[in-house]
Amino acid sequence: MRVVATASSAIATYGLSKRYGDVLAVDVLDLDVRRGEIYAFLGSNGAGKTTTIRMLLGLIRPSGGHVDVLGRRVRPGASDVFARVGYLVETATAYPNLTVYENLEIQRRLTGAPRAAIAEAIDLMRLGAHADRRAGVLSLGYKQRLALARALLHRPELLILDEPANGLDPSGIVEVRQLLQSLASEQGVTVFMSSHILAEVAHLADRIGIVDHGRLLEELDREELRVRERGHVRVCASEPERATSALAAAGFAHIELADGHLRVFDAEDRVPEIARVLVGAGIELTELAPAREDLESYFLRLTGGVE
Amino acid sequence: MIFPQVLATEFLKLRRSKVTWLSFVALSLAPLGIALFMWIVREPGRAAQLGLLGTKADLSGLTATWPAYFSMLVLVVGIGGMLMLPFIIAYVFGREYADGTAKNLLALPVGRQWFVFAKLVVAAVWWLVLVVAVLAEAIVVGHALALPGFSAGLALGGARDALLAAGISYLLAPVVAWITTLGRGYLPPLGFALAMLALGNVFAKTGWADWFPWSIVPLSVGTVGQPVQTLPPGSFVVVGLTFFAGIIATILQLRHADNAQ
Repeated sequence: MRVVATASSAIATYGLSKRYGDVLAVDVLDLDVRRGEIYAFLGSNGAGKTTTIRMLLGLIRPSGGHVDVLGRRVRPGASDVFARVGYLVETATAYPNLTVYENLEIQRRLTGAPRAAIAEAIDLMRLGAHADRRAGVLSLGYKQRLALARALLHRPELLILDEPANGLDPSGIVEVRQLLQSLASEQGVTVFMSSHILAEVAHLADRIGIVDHGRLLEELDREELRVRERGHVRVCASEPERATSALAAAGFAHIELADGHLRVFDAEDRVPEIARVLVGAGIELTELAPAREDLESYFLRLTGGVE
Repeated sequence: MIFPQVLATEFLKLRRSKVTWLSFVALSLAPLGIALFMWIVREPGRAAQLGLLGTKADLSGLTATWPAYFSMLVLVVGIGGMLMLPFIIAYVFGREYADGTAKNLLALPVGRQWFVFAKLVVAAVWWLVLVVAVLAEAIVVGHALALPGFSAGLALGGARDALLAAGISYLLAPVVAWITTLGRGYLPPLGFALAMLALGNVFAKTGWADWFPWSIVPLSVGTVGQPVQTLPPGSFVVVGLTFFAGIIATILQLRHADNAQ
């Protein structure tokens, strides 16, 4: 898939690759994140999510390809575009000897945000009770809130967030989800977020890119995800290949054979007919049941994880 | 203009920092140590009774006078600078890696060179305040010890020599900044500083002393013999080139190398 970036692209990567010695961390990645959408970059640990984010932000240099952010090529010395980008990379970090307020003051000065922006960010991330506490004594969840406040402080057009729900308690996760949704829907902020929390991603993202071993395996939008989550009939048969042929010959159009069993899509109300076809073909059945594939199952199947 | 903002944030980062106070405490021990030597030289009998370093002090050929006191102070500031200043630089640059904040800084709409300049200014101010504070302390301690031979001219000359040694030490600091950004932490620059201190003293005894940057401070303060009265212009060119090479290397490192933590 080649990216054709348009004026509506917030992020576009072209054949983006990163190699560390023998390890290919990101492998010819072509992404096109549209303005105003929430794009989730989904992958297991070591899939290349953080490496990609580092390249988006110019923290590391690609071994191949290039990145455009908000229409500007990311390259050494071209930092102006980052005035319009808020970001959180890997773990939330701050100057431990400075208070929450002072940490945000550093961000404010370096991004040219107005003084009032600090109070707004503190309010937005519910850090008011901790504003005068040193960052070094904050819990992991509050450090994450501080990092998000820092990312949001200068009202960026684009948020690049690496595991934004990391360390947050359940109510914090819901808060951040609602915040990102409102930023995207009400203010048109583009959100590019990496995550390995599939349920969170399924709730939040307009589009999901599934990455594994540095490669983009598939992109799904909400509609495609809904279709993926559609029901199917799970069939375990003695001769899976012959069962596939028999069902196809009987008019079942969407059949997948994986891990020794069949998934027959759009056939939840045709279970008796499936049984008839397979028994009629002399195939022994060990399981025949309607099922539904959620994002987690789909992700695991796609990335070769354990189902 | 972004530089004043970057500079302000760099000074803000020193707030509540224990390291600034630790550096003051460490260097403020220097005049007290020299004063102890002076006292031992002046009162060898009492020092011997107390089991202090009488024999060693006698062997050093010191006299308990203001000129001797100042020459030792210049030596301590010069050699101390070759250790304390890398410590300051390692902290100012290295804390961004140790605290994990480098990644927060390097994707801001600020040219990375401004961070280098601002951090070097902070280190310069920190070092200057340290040296001036130690000189002021030394004057007070020297008077408390009632050393003979004080004059305003001598004090100004001592201060000038100490500041010159401190200044030459500072010109070597950007290389330490580069080592810090290259190694992304505290240990590489401190190891480098110790190695250069040793090498500098070795080279100071050779014919290359005027040309090896880390020998020029020992040469000027008299670690390996009498302090040279005037360094050859070539030595100033060498430390000047070292200064600019260090700055350029640090900027290039931050700008072009991978800055993952």
